[in-house]
Amino acid sequence: MRVPRALRTVGGVLSAAWLVFLLLASVTASWWLPYQVDAQDPAHTLAGPSASHWLGTDDLGRDVLSRIAAGSWISVGPALLAVVVAFGIGIPLALLAAEHGRWVEHGFSRFAELLLALPSIVILLAFVGAVGVHPWAIMTVLGVLLSAPVYRIFLGQAQSLRTQLYVDAARVNGVSSLRVNLRHVLPAMATTIAVQAAQLFAISVLIEAGLAFMGFGPSVPSPSWGGLIAAASQHVYDDPWLMVPTGVVLALTVIAANGLADAVAGGREREAATPRHRKPRTSVRAATGGTHATEGMLLDVRDLTVAVGGPDGPALVTGVSFALPPGTVLGLVGESGCGKTMTARALPGLLPEGVEVTGGSVWFAGRDSADRDSAGRDSAGRDLAGLPDKELQAIRGREIAVISQEPMVALDPMFSVGYQLTQPIRRFRGVGRAEARRIAAELLGQVGIVDAGRMLRSYPHQLSGGMAQRVCIALALTGSPKLLIADEPTTALDVTVQAEILSLLRALVRTTGLSVIIVSHDPGVVADLCDEVAVMYAGQVVESGTVAEVLGQPAHPYTAALLAANPHVAEGLPVPERLPSIPGTVPAPPDWPAGCRFASRCSLATAECAAPVPATPAHGAAKVHGAANHGTGTVRCVHPLSSPAELPVPHPVERGVPS
Amino acid sequence: MLTYLARRLAFAVTTVLAASVVSFLLVHASSGSPGAITAGAGATPAQVAAENHRLGWDQPLVTQYLTWLGHAASGNFGVSLIDGHNIWSDLMARLPVTASIAVFATLLSGVFGVLIGVAAAVRSGLADRAVTVGSGVALSLPQFWIGILLVYLIAIKAHLLPATGYVAFSASPSQYLQSLALPVITLTITGTAIIARTTRTGMISALRQEHIRTLHALGTPPWRIRYVHALRFAAAPVVSVLGIQFIALFGGSVVIEQLFALPGLGQAAQNAIGTNDFPAVQGVVVIATVVVVITNLVLDLVLAAIDPRVRTA
Repeated sequence: MRVPRALRTVGGVLSAAWLVFLLLASVTASWWLPYQVDAQDPAHTLAGPSASHWLGTDDLGRDVLSRIAAGSWISVGPALLAVVVAFGIGIPLALLAAEHGRWVEHGFSRFAELLLALPSIVILLAFVGAVGVHPWAIMTVLGVLLSAPVYRIFLGQAQSLRTQLYVDAARVNGVSSLRVNLRHVLPAMATTIAVQAAQLFAISVLIEAGLAFMGFGPSVPSPSWGGLIAAASQHVYDDPWLMVPTGVVLALTVIAANGLADAVAGGREREAATPRHRKPRTSVRAATGGTHATEGMLLDVRDLTVAVGGPDGPALVTGVSFALPPGTVLGLVGESGCGKTMTARALPGLLPEGVEVTGGSVWFAGRDSADRDSAGRDSAGRDLAGLPDKELQAIRGREIAVISQEPMVALDPMFSVGYQLTQPIRRFRGVGRAEARRIAAELLGQVGIVDAGRMLRSYPHQLSGGMAQRVCIALALTGSPKLLIADEPTTALDVTVQAEILSLLRALVRTTGLSVIIVSHDPGVVADLCDEVAVMYAGQVVESGTVAEVLGQPAHPYTAALLAANPHVAEGLPVPERLPSIPGTVPAPPDWPAGCRFASRCSLATAECAAPVPATPAHGAAKVHGAANHGTGTVRCVHPLSSPAELPVPHPVERGVPS
Repeated sequence: MLTYLARRLAFAVTTVLAASVVSFLLVHASSGSPGAITAGAGATPAQVAAENHRLGWDQPLVTQYLTWLGHAASGNFGVSLIDGHNIWSDLMARLPVTASIAVFATLLSGVFGVLIGVAAAVRSGLADRAVTVGSGVALSLPQFWIGILLVYLIAIKAHLLPATGYVAFSASPSQYLQSLALPVITLTITGTAIIARTTRTGMISALRQEHIRTLHALGTPPWRIRYVHALRFAAAPVVSVLGIQFIALFGGSVVIEQLFALPGLGQAAQNAIGTNDFPAVQGVVVIATVVVVITNLVLDLVLAAIDPRVRTA
């Protein structure tokens, strides 16, 4: 038998067990009760727990346990009734409103709003005043009042369910609307109904107890929990214990109802329990990256390794090395899942929770005075991979800025563009409000926004994707950084806007001398913008060098395949009927082989490829000497391609290895 | 914005009218009659009928309602059937008591709840667990039970504060605060638990937003990210819950007012219902609804102030 999801957690089992126990105990109370509800024991009044009276006795010597058990049905039953009434009214109305469109929905919703706006406790009391103390009737009225929030919650659900294709299909096929609701809509809402019912039950139990406490509960001889607490409160001076048993039973019932709701909802708590606070790590990584950066480089990444959950966790990026001279643009290119973004985010220490740098170094020649030698030149720089978060924080924005993939969500929707720009400007440049606003307008002009004054007053939700990305770029420029990391800066934008943003980036590099790392899956973007390129595959750099070398004469079969799969067709060539693609997918980190990681998809693979492949110089790099050598090209392949004739151009086949 | 405001105002007036109709009908659905109360226990049916005639109870419902509405509009809720006091001035005299409790408890719940909720969201692990469990327990205990416990611990055992009673601010500011302390603490415990939960959930989701990553990438100090950016993003539900809390305190502090013997609106409601004081019941319902409606209006304005997407939509 399938175990309901709610019963697969400890909390769910305990909660359900308590509620079942309570129900059984209340129904069978008359058979096992040790004492009659009102059996008095004048010898033991206001006694604490003892062998004969497990939970003690009250002021007339009546057994507390017996009274709690006897009162459980009248304390819990009416609350159940309130829930049944609330759902009995709320859900059918929500289904009707969802089905019959605007006018019905409008009418019901206004009415629900009205009910919600009434002070329910006072109305409830007025009802008590009118009809007298009848717990079941009172809780029915509470159910009517609670049907408004129930209606509100399920209207939204029902509306979205009705637009689902399978519900639509059933209706088109002539299934009657009642059947559609019973067969398709209601079952889909079952979880929400269970969660809300449990929570509403908890609320109702508390409200009922409150009414009983005030004397609007069942009449005196038959005790309800609220009434028992009210009676106990009279003896808080001489027997405070009397308060405890009823309070605990009541609290346990409410906790159990809420616990059951949590268990039914599932996932929510578990998801929230994932680690959120990343402790700044300083010394976990192995010292494999040398002691200083190569001279003349702004950034020198060596053997960078990024892993999930520490050094022993699965690696996402392994042994990545590349260097970036000032004023150049480097492209990190490869398919999705190759570790490009993780590499880029590792540089300024912006990895997601649970992911960290576990090896290698990130040498960065910043402008920090400590990094300069006596002559004022940039010295070897600092290893960012070893810095605590606090120090990285001082580097972010000021020295290394980041532009994200999705401009529409990268800006804070709550603040104006002006605030979001001036705030970092004031922090980075130590200027006043007015001066910061002037600089902000200037930056907006620099990124091609004409009406800067109006833009400063705008809010992010009023911007188009292209405009938002321009603002994001201006934001990245507020600290006049030396290095800009752009993670797929144009992917989320329209094609025409993509071209605009790319030419803006090109212009910025030309005018400001900024170094840029662009992460892209599109070799076209890289060819357009970059000086150097590092091709990544399965967490490694498989080939690097200048754009002309790598894209013009790829040495790694993966680079060649990637280029061949690029949908940009050169001018003059016929458009292929079917786009070529690289067969297979990038292996996930746990499936990485010890040897060449591309071997399984490579048409040139041989037995040698099963052994680990080191990065070797390529594109004639070995012949180039000197400090600032540009010919640092490398390739990680046993059979590097040496001439364009060898290109293993994948055929437009559906599956299988390209011949 | 103006049409929005006009619509909200129209809805507010409708709500108050609806509440007055509901309470009017409830009062008239009752088996008793005002004449039976004013005429006293041993009155003959003729005497009761005469009293009812004097009070207008024998007129058509619509006439009675319109008469009542006309008077109510000018702040005249009639006089109590029990003691002959003017209901409007009695309720106005009680308003400061309930308002004091509601305002203090809401403010304190807001401050503590937000601080605790943010701390739980930012620090995972033990602290977070403690907040979740603690607020769960606090929300499962009835307020009156917590109140009695506090009376026992603070008033009876420790003699730190008076257990019950109320002293007006004008009589003695320090005793005023002392007399409010226990009820306010009681309500603040539950309120803090609700606000902490709401804040925690909101903050956890806010801190995962992409724009928060942008702020990290700009080297924004963590306190600014948490308390200015993430908190504002998470603020809408927190403010809404605070509003609901305030309403609940105003209309529903009946139990607490009884427990601590505070002469507030809740006590007035309880007295009026207990004694079948018809005009007073109606007055209480209307005043409680007006408070709800005003709170909701303020809530709408605050939400618009927080979120530009609401404001400029």
